[in-house]
Amino acid sequence: MSAPKPTESTATPVDGLVEAESLVEEVSIDGMCGVY
Amino acid sequence: MDLEHAWDLHPQVSVRPEPFGALLYHFGTRKLSFLKDRKLLSVVENLATSPSAHTACTAAGVGEAELPRYETALEALVRSSMLVERMK
Repeated sequence: MSAPKPTESTATPVDGLVEAESLVEEVSIDGMCGVY
Repeated sequence: MDLEHAWDLHPQVSVRPEPFGALLYHFGTRKLSFLKDRKLLSVVENLATSPSAHTACTAAGVGEAELPRYETALEALVRSSMLVERMK
């Protein structure tokens, strides 16, 4: 009986690949009426 | 969006430059968009005088390697109606 193989990580970083942070963030102010 | 087309800010959108980039407010949809990059603000400001979004990016100093990231950002602004395609 062989030992179970270690699970490979699917989150291995790839050289030179940097996840690009979004340059835009959106916010809706609907529902904020009456707050001020 | 097509980077080779001309785009403009929606006439109901106000831009306020900020140290982190800019705030865009759409008076029609009451949506806010945060531009988290000063170069993206330059791109948006250049749109009005550029024949295409690609030209606006180049004028703002966006290199070819960065272009997909800025294209994604501009697409988000089109989806939220901050940018509209210029009528010919």
